[in-house]
Amino acid sequence: MRTKLIAVWIALSLTGLAGLSSAVAQNSVAAQNGAVAVVVSEKNPVFNLSVAELRKLFTGERHAWPGGLPVKLIVRAPGAYERIVLLRLLAMSESEYKQYWTAQVFRGEAQAQPIALFSNGMQKEAVALYPGALALVNLQDVKPGMKVVKVGGHLPGEPGYPLN
Amino acid sequence: MHCDRSAVVLLLVASLSHAQDAAPSEQEMILQLVQQVETLQKKVEALEAQPRTISPSNAGATSQVPSSPTPEAVDSSPRPSSLMAELHELRGIQWQGFGEVNYKALNQKIPELGTYGFVPGSAGNFYTGDFDLLLTARINDKASVLSEIAIGEGDAQTYSIELERMLFKYDYNDHLRMSFGRYQTGIGYYNTAYHGGTWFQTTADRPLVMEFAHAGGVLPTQAVGLSFTGSIPSGTLGLNYIAEYGSSDTIRPDLNSTTTTDENNGNHINIGLFAHPEAIPGLQIGGSIYHDRISDFAKGPTVRLGQTIVNGHIIYIRHGIEILNEGFLIRHAYEHTATAYNTPAFYSQISKRFHRTRPFFRYQYINADPGSLLADLDLRYGPSFGVRYDFNDSIAFKTQLDHTVRKGEPDLNGLHLQLTFKF
Repeated sequence: MRTKLIAVWIALSLTGLAGLSSAVAQNSVAAQNGAVAVVVSEKNPVFNLSVAELRKLFTGERHAWPGGLPVKLIVRAPGAYERIVLLRLLAMSESEYKQYWTAQVFRGEAQAQPIALFSNGMQKEAVALYPGALALVNLQDVKPGMKVVKVGGHLPGEPGYPLN
Repeated sequence: MHCDRSAVVLLLVASLSHAQDAAPSEQEMILQLVQQVETLQKKVEALEAQPRTISPSNAGATSQVPSSPTPEAVDSSPRPSSLMAELHELRGIQWQGFGEVNYKALNQKIPELGTYGFVPGSAGNFYTGDFDLLLTARINDKASVLSEIAIGEGDAQTYSIELERMLFKYDYNDHLRMSFGRYQTGIGYYNTAYHGGTWFQTTADRPLVMEFAHAGGVLPTQAVGLSFTGSIPSGTLGLNYIAEYGSSDTIRPDLNSTTTTDENNGNHINIGLFAHPEAIPGLQIGGSIYHDRISDFAKGPTVRLGQTIVNGHIIYIRHGIEILNEGFLIRHAYEHTATAYNTPAFYSQISKRFHRTRPFFRYQYINADPGSLLADLDLRYGPSFGVRYDFNDSIAFKTQLDHTVRKGEPDLNGLHLQLTFKF
């Protein structure tokens, strides 16, 4: 009986260690990639968004900024870290995300799927091009001309910032 | 870019070593090196000037390109022309297609209807269902056009083209989004969430109560007129409205004969309200009230009655979980008399996605009053269960078993196989 208990304890410990190492690995990936900033055009007066508002914007439920400026969603192409953070925010898999937007266009809820770009440099250009643009950009790639918006009252890198 | 520079350095080193081997004079060696550097610089400039090989015709196509470039590799100030090429396709007409091939086997040979929904023409047959073409065009930031053209299969493999939707849309702001043209009525959730696209449905067919009128369904699913929708300032409650006014001329086949019933509807009004509470993302709770006037030609050409359809729904879609619950009360009240018939109906559907596989279960119920215009339906209820398997983001296969209890008739068992795809 005692041997069995020890075996179970060892198994649980190993499982816990495996989980811990996995969490550490994920954290290290997040740390490597850093926080992801919510970026808008410098012409956009918005300075803070809640997570719920961000979710509504990136799901196309909210179509316009205060003042009526149409929201132009800019996202990274699959595989990019910003895309992973976006999918985590929306609680969707890549496949679900694609299907969701196909459905949004089919329902007439959106004119087109969000623009998917291959680099943060291109995102910077798109943000400069569209006054209503909204994009997620890795903090280390934020360039002059991009306006970083607070999320839930926190700036990227601050404790409590949700997009990591 | 790192690769290009590495190649330049390697070539320089190779050139240098080659030059040292040849042992030319120092002056000649310097000249050769300068020439080679100039040549390589031109090559590098030419490589940098090449446009990116991006092939998107739309964002969907873009996202299918298997690219996962590191930011360092591609972030070096792309040319404006490349971005414009990326964005260019967002203008102009966009097409999407949806198709399906079905096989349905039933333990009853007497047909009720030609194809789907109820009992098809034979005990086991193939049919194509609707072949849908969706056309969208953006006119400007606020105005756009949407059109859905369906090529549907009728009896004996005859096909007809129907303009399912044709809408001019104008989004004034989040609180007022207008549509003009032919739309699918916003009675409840299902009709506006799935329209005619079988691809989007988890199940192989629509619930009986949501079946299109031309396939025996009971609701006026389509209309021509005006539709307004938008959000209502309501904080974290996330309230939205829908208001429609139009003509929904419903013609539905009678399940017990070869005749059709033209309800000759008058203009309808439909008001709906639904909430997306921020506290529970993925949840939608709402309802709608629809009213119009229809004719009962069986009782006389001038007999008119008021048709009121009340809907309530609770929907949850998130984390791969799908829970759909909708209830309806269809009330037909004859004018100038106290005669009224109520037809309650509901369906509940639950499914959960496990990677590519999504098992589902649905239970549906409809109980038409024998004296009403929907008497041919009578009482029907029963479960359906099955599995949807997504081969990829564009092709899916569904297997569905149905058991339907019918009042005064034998129970109906069915197997429905469906290959559905989008392109």
